[in-house]
Amino acid sequence: MMQRIDLAPLLRETVATPYSDMVTRSTGAALRDRIEQTINGASHRTTQLDFTAVGLLDFSCADEVVAKLLLRVAGDDEHYVVLSGVTEGQLDAIDHVLERHGLSVAALAEGEGAPRVLGVTTPDALAAFQSVQRLGAGDAGRLADSLGWTIERAADALQSLALRRLIQAAGGTYRPLPLSA
Amino acid sequence: MRVVTVPSSLDDRTLDALAQAIGEWPPVEGMLLDARATTWASPYGLTALLTLGQAMAEVKVPPPRFAVPESDEVKSYWARCGFFHAAAECFDLVGRISKKPSDAPSDVLLPVTPVRAAEDVHHVVGRIQERAQRILSTELNLEPKATMGFGMALSEACQNIVEHAGTGGWVAVQTYNWRKRLGRKVVVIAVSDAGIGFRRSLEPTEAKKVGERWGDAAALELAILQSVSRFREPGRAQGFAGIRRYLGRWQGKLSVRSGTARLAVVPSWDDDAALAEHLPYFPGSQVQITIPAQEADAR
Repeated sequence: MMQRIDLAPLLRETVATPYSDMVTRSTGAALRDRIEQTINGASHRTTQLDFTAVGLLDFSCADEVVAKLLLRVAGDDEHYVVLSGVTEGQLDAIDHVLERHGLSVAALAEGEGAPRVLGVTTPDALAAFQSVQRLGAGDAGRLADSLGWTIERAADALQSLALRRLIQAAGGTYRPLPLSA
Repeated sequence: MRVVTVPSSLDDRTLDALAQAIGEWPPVEGMLLDARATTWASPYGLTALLTLGQAMAEVKVPPPRFAVPESDEVKSYWARCGFFHAAAECFDLVGRISKKPSDAPSDVLLPVTPVRAAEDVHHVVGRIQERAQRILSTELNLEPKATMGFGMALSEACQNIVEHAGTGGWVAVQTYNWRKRLGRKVVVIAVSDAGIGFRRSLEPTEAKKVGERWGDAAALELAILQSVSRFREPGRAQGFAGIRRYLGRWQGKLSVRSGTARLAVVPSWDDDAALAEHLPYFPGSQVQITIPAQEADAR
């Protein structure tokens, strides 16, 4: 089951300004507290943070809201975070802060049909991620066939994606994370 | 009372002359800043003047006086930039200025605005965003992604005051036509605060590690080039790293002066020194971000 958190209304509730910009570290920390409360109050395995109607996102706020949230949920058993409604400018800020932490996240950009990986990645992991999104659930053999790789190479790439919680793994099969526009 | 003459043209290059004229810091006597013959000041110059006034108030010397420019045109322009409104908080103003409220000049994206808390950063970014997007895209040929990055850079530069200065500061944003220097339009963000500066901010954690070379220049290098923060938690010091990344993409320039040093991340179109040490002391920190108009084939 997926839990969707709309950040724009949550921002308005958290910070008493008329603006829709996610800026400053203190704003990000306050917003992350609210997100964590929402996550803790539910039992969903996947949380989708929706950036629709959010204006500017600066690096400090991206660090607090996205990077630190990923670090927090990394301690939970199989909790996934995905992003949606992210604009081109916001992608850049998120990508930057995740790279600095050595983290990654799946994000659906505004107007795009398939998610992309933000933050740290490798060419193999990226190719595997895109194939899993296209093919749907499957195993290393299916991915290897699709990409013309050895099964070991495909298995390594899938394992890397699963460890980064960019795809779900269960019993030797891998599936994309649920994500809606 | 000591009389200090403000350079006729005050910007990031001539601030050193003003700092030299101020001499010993903190000053031991009252000061009159004489700007009567000043004919031009960049946002960097205007915000630095306010910083000087604020810093003098904070070191408990007699309130500084400020003789306003004689030129009606200059006075009018500075008033419309919000300078005198802000300066009235820091200086005893000498000379006639118009108290009538008027619109900011068309090249001013953000008049001189105080930054003291996180809410002020929200206000600055929210206030400038729509106007900046229009001007940056139509006059500087910056694509939408670049205008978003501009807001990020502005936000991070202002947050530096809130997070590290220990006191308030000022921000102003303006566009210019740099015909002689660059042959293109630029947009300039100037942020200045009267705070503790980079050296004192990093001293408790970094001075011993650096050793003999420790000082304003070493502190600037650590903060800006190596993304070192006084906060130990991972992910700090994202601000300058993000600003540098943004400026690298759009051939922008970053210049930061703190205490007796100035560090610049210099693009190919400029000939500034990457590091200037042993400058005359000026209180607080001054940040200038310059983004040039993009040439059509560079987009």
